[in-house]
Amino acid sequence: MDDRYRQYFDALPCFLTVQDRNLKILSANRAFRKAFGEHEGRCCYQVYKHLPEPCEVCPVERTFRDGQLHQSEEVVTTLEGRELAVVVYTTPIRDDAGNITAVMEMSADITEIKHLQNQHKASRELYRLLFEEVPCYISIQDPDMRIVRANRLHRETFGTAYGCHCYKVLKHRDEECVPCVVRESFKTGQVTQREEVVKALDGRERYVLVTAAPIRDESGGIQRVIEMSADITCLRQLQDKLSSVGLLVGSISHDLKGLLNIMDGGIYMVNSGIGKGDMTRVNRGWEISLRSMARIRSLVQNILYYAKDRELVLEKISARSLLTEVCDQVEPRARELGIDLQRRFDQEPGEFDGDITAVRSLMINLLENSLDACRVDLNKKGHQVSAGFTDLPDAVRFEVVDNGIGMDRETVDRAFSLFYSSKGAGGTGLGLFIADKITKAHGGAIDLHSEPGKGTRFVVRIPKGLPQPGMNACSEA
Amino acid sequence: MPPKKKILIIDDEPEMVEGLQVFLEDNGYETCSAFNGKDGITVLQKERPDLVTLDIQMPEDTGARFYRNLTKDKEFKDTPVIVISGLPGRHLSTSHPYAVFEKPIDKEKLLATIRQALGG
Repeated sequence: MDDRYRQYFDALPCFLTVQDRNLKILSANRAFRKAFGEHEGRCCYQVYKHLPEPCEVCPVERTFRDGQLHQSEEVVTTLEGRELAVVVYTTPIRDDAGNITAVMEMSADITEIKHLQNQHKASRELYRLLFEEVPCYISIQDPDMRIVRANRLHRETFGTAYGCHCYKVLKHRDEECVPCVVRESFKTGQVTQREEVVKALDGRERYVLVTAAPIRDESGGIQRVIEMSADITCLRQLQDKLSSVGLLVGSISHDLKGLLNIMDGGIYMVNSGIGKGDMTRVNRGWEISLRSMARIRSLVQNILYYAKDRELVLEKISARSLLTEVCDQVEPRARELGIDLQRRFDQEPGEFDGDITAVRSLMINLLENSLDACRVDLNKKGHQVSAGFTDLPDAVRFEVVDNGIGMDRETVDRAFSLFYSSKGAGGTGLGLFIADKITKAHGGAIDLHSEPGKGTRFVVRIPKGLPQPGMNACSEA
Repeated sequence: MPPKKKILIIDDEPEMVEGLQVFLEDNGYETCSAFNGKDGITVLQKERPDLVTLDIQMPEDTGARFYRNLTKDKEFKDTPVIVISGLPGRHLSTSHPYAVFEKPIDKEKLLATIRQALGG
């Protein structure tokens, strides 16, 4: 080799060898000798890899075979035993006749790059794991609010399909929400936060705290925004529960005060009647006292149903005697309010398994609700409330119908929610909530049809057979 | 003997009205009643009471409406109104009733207030 070339050959910062057909190293540069030691009379695989035989796939052999340049990635071991990752290039060396006499092999050390690559791969994997498994809903959106990526929880909860609009997936809307945190982030480049209510695939509403953050590209532009939503439904429910306890105390004490006032009037009549020797007055006062007492009792019963989970105490109940008892109880008040209370009973007794205290509360709540609906209706003269039941083969069907004030769509939708009362000061919002709970605890269903100004019909269907054991009279709805 | 003073009792609970009626009649007043603010106006115009006790929280806001109508009416605006409320501290923001009582009412105190309002 020409001395000048020898110099270049030696100075190159990669490992250079020239090998013959048997992979014997004919010549090597300085970098190679420094890293792998003397090569005299030894083969490539022996020096590079400490192997007794050639590698299965050898780029040098291939170049000898086809005269082409070849490239491969190998792991080699230095004299000190350090493993290096190298990328290998092979070039044929030809004689004047064009025959391949040797192959030059150049190996560049890419250990550092390999290391970085592995690190990058690991951090990608970590990032993927985080993105996929973090317990909140994450999506990445384009400026059109289309979801380009979403994590597992997002996909599973909302049935997310890529390319769909965020508002379509989360809110079942056809238009962008106003305001929209993602839009805000695109516009301002800032992190934005907002509480939203979204709808899951199973139809249930979830309360979420949404955080949107811009993702900047190399030029600093924002082509994507990441939206992360933490599910705070449990928190909301707890808050609702707490504030509802406050409301409960308020509205119950309001009701109690009114009833105590009525009772006070009744007691006054008893006392003053005795003083005057007026027995009619005494009787009337006594009647009023007893009745307000009964109303206080059912109010307290409702509080108990709300406050704790009661096990059902099951017994055979005859719908006929139950409704007779309940109608007898509310009839005087109906008369007082000028409401005609009608009984529409089946010929059959309508026997079913139930908790008598619970079912009594249920029917009283429905009837009181109907009486109130008539009481507050100032637009009609002559109100009727009917209470009835039908004995079906496998269930008893109760019906309470009134021609009172009726409910609009919103009131119907929310009638069974806790503390929703359309009666203003007149209702605790507890009665129908409890009625619904009791019905469900008996494995039954409650149905409500209403029209504003016309009246309301409640249909309660309770199966005759035993409800599943372990059901509570007041389990969480 | 001077003619008895007349008191209009408005409350949506008939039994509440009845108790108050008996009590006030025992104490020398004549009474008339209505179960909502709408009927209250009719009775007011027909009976021309000297004083009104008004349950302010009645369905469809008729209690508050009754009070507004009364204060706007030249003939009745000086009729003393005693507001009876189920909620503490609930006063009418725009007007000033003669007195406000919270349920359950202290009957003797109510009687004293009525006597004072009607000048003994």
